[in-house]
Amino acid sequence: MNPVSNSTRAAAWLFLAPALALLGVFTLWPMLRALGWSFTAADLLALDSARGVGGANYSDLLTDPRFRRAFLNTAWFAVMVVPVQAALAFFLALWVNRPERYWRWLRTVFFVPVVVSMPVLAVLWTMLYQPARGDQMGLLNALATGLGLSAQDWLQNPRLALPAIAFMSVWQGVGFQMMIFLAGLQNLSPEQLEAAKIDGAHAGQRLRHVIVPAMRPSIVFVLTATLILSFRLFVQPYLMTRGGPEDATVSIIQVIYEMTFLGRELGMASAGAMLFLLLVAALTLLQRFFAREVRS
Amino acid sequence: MREIAAAFNAAHAGHGVEVHLTFFPDHQYTEKVTIAAAARDLPDVLALDGPTVAQFVHADLLRPIAGWFSAEELADFAPAIRAQGEVDGVLYALGAFDSAMVLYYDRDLLAAAGVEPPGDYEGWTWDEFLAACGQLKATGFDPVALHMDLTGDEWYTYAFSPVIWSAGGRLIDEETHQVDGVLNSPLNAATLRRWQEVFARDYADRAPVDPDPFGSGRTAMDWSGHWMARAHLDKKGDRLGAMPLPAMNHAPAAACGSWCWGLTQDARDPDAAALWLRWVVDPVQGILPIVSANGAVPARASAYALFPDYDETPFRLFRHLQETAARPRPRTPFYPTLTQHVAAALRDIARGADPGERLDRAATQVQQLVNRQRGAL
Repeated sequence: MNPVSNSTRAAAWLFLAPALALLGVFTLWPMLRALGWSFTAADLLALDSARGVGGANYSDLLTDPRFRRAFLNTAWFAVMVVPVQAALAFFLALWVNRPERYWRWLRTVFFVPVVVSMPVLAVLWTMLYQPARGDQMGLLNALATGLGLSAQDWLQNPRLALPAIAFMSVWQGVGFQMMIFLAGLQNLSPEQLEAAKIDGAHAGQRLRHVIVPAMRPSIVFVLTATLILSFRLFVQPYLMTRGGPEDATVSIIQVIYEMTFLGRELGMASAGAMLFLLLVAALTLLQRFFAREVRS
Repeated sequence: MREIAAAFNAAHAGHGVEVHLTFFPDHQYTEKVTIAAAARDLPDVLALDGPTVAQFVHADLLRPIAGWFSAEELADFAPAIRAQGEVDGVLYALGAFDSAMVLYYDRDLLAAAGVEPPGDYEGWTWDEFLAACGQLKATGFDPVALHMDLTGDEWYTYAFSPVIWSAGGRLIDEETHQVDGVLNSPLNAATLRRWQEVFARDYADRAPVDPDPFGSGRTAMDWSGHWMARAHLDKKGDRLGAMPLPAMNHAPAAACGSWCWGLTQDARDPDAAALWLRWVVDPVQGILPIVSANGAVPARASAYALFPDYDETPFRLFRHLQETAARPRPRTPFYPTLTQHVAAALRDIARGADPGERLDRAATQVQQLVNRQRGAL
């Protein structure tokens, strides 16, 4: 073994040490503790007297109708949000990808909801979704009735509540994905686009054969990031519907939160968090798999 | 609160006792305190909401406090305020103030609809209440505001438990912690079926946006609490009336209870900590400044002499309810989960869900938690 590479290796560990220490203290250690607690009936207010219960927390959770409902709701939310938000962000990026000043203004406008705090938007959208009562109704119902459609109880109808929250979430988050696509678009070589134009490719062909292939890394990133973010759904339904009506908008994070701070069942909550971690880890591995596909 | 602490510190400067206050925003308070408790890092004296006392007691975090008060002093506190701090007959917490809920009404709007309000201190039966709502609606008014826009769970349990109690029902058995069969009793299902009619007949808005439709003149009556008394008086003056909440068929019951103080097991010098506890619930040192600031209902009979408002409407009704009909929310370590599921059920029932089925589901959910933890109590 050569001495230079040994000292390099030592230096590498030295430089890594602070980051590893922080990761260990703030990520790995709490995660291991949660893993340990997930096999106990730990009470948040009496951690010392936690007794082991084996896998009971996991089997209780997997058969608990509310937790299963939360899982299905969250997955359904992701299915609604991810493709729509990514596609919309892509086309918005194509649209505002122009150098003039007023396009830059438009970009800012689309980005504003990303910056505004979610609780504020939740209150705002609760008003927009207000059902009709007499001559009073929210803006969306006013629009709907103006178009000759019937007014809906958006957030009070178990079938409409989650789609309504998904719609609001797409609107809120689309600016962020748009920015990532925009960065990708601005890295495209203008020569390549020019060449395609000279070769007689029309706009649709240029999009399909030049822009989309070149943007694949951004697309994969946006899809997986949106997927993981959408699984972290919590604030909008918690503030707009509290998980109702009929548990139609209860999310995984909400159930974990309630188990921790209302039921004080830290063991059960840890098991829920572990299942959630497994799910997100699986999605991340899936992303790495696809990203590798793209690179090769 | 800071001034009360400063006065305390000045008065005890020579005795080596000093109070340091730590404030948290309301919505983070319970989380912060729970985490501090988990880390065994609680202060000597702790403020907590009445219905959460039991869970702190069952986790062995609070110590009995009756020993620091004389029998006359204890008798001076409203019975329901003592009751909310009591678990299995032992007193763990006392508060400086109480809460009250009433049905506010606008005398002019009721008169315009030909609705006769009940006599002094008297409330309507549920049927009389529905009939009055019907008359108000027929005249073109929005009858009553039930504040279904509030997202916090506690409003629903606090505001509508009196309806369940007034029919003779309960949310949980405080002795055995049994929920299944108690919360979802046929009686409660029948009660909530009648409660539901307020929404089914469109007497109250199921999804309001206006936080104070009574104040802005849109509704004739307001199902609300002491915290709106000042604002309503300012807007309505002599037109403001108040009556107890309508009662189903048993006996009228009034909501009550509020934040209170307890001594923690971790307190290094409980005698010194008790000095501060006595100070904040003292009529002159604690109750006068706190109640003047937050408009709540004094927790001690002797404190009423300091508040001349309590000879007038609606304040005298608050005092009357506190003395005659107040009933604390269930004292059980499972209260936070109970209130979460009761609130979710009430929201759904207001929206039109079948009360029997919806209560069954809520009871099953809470009972699961109780069954898992009952062995540890």
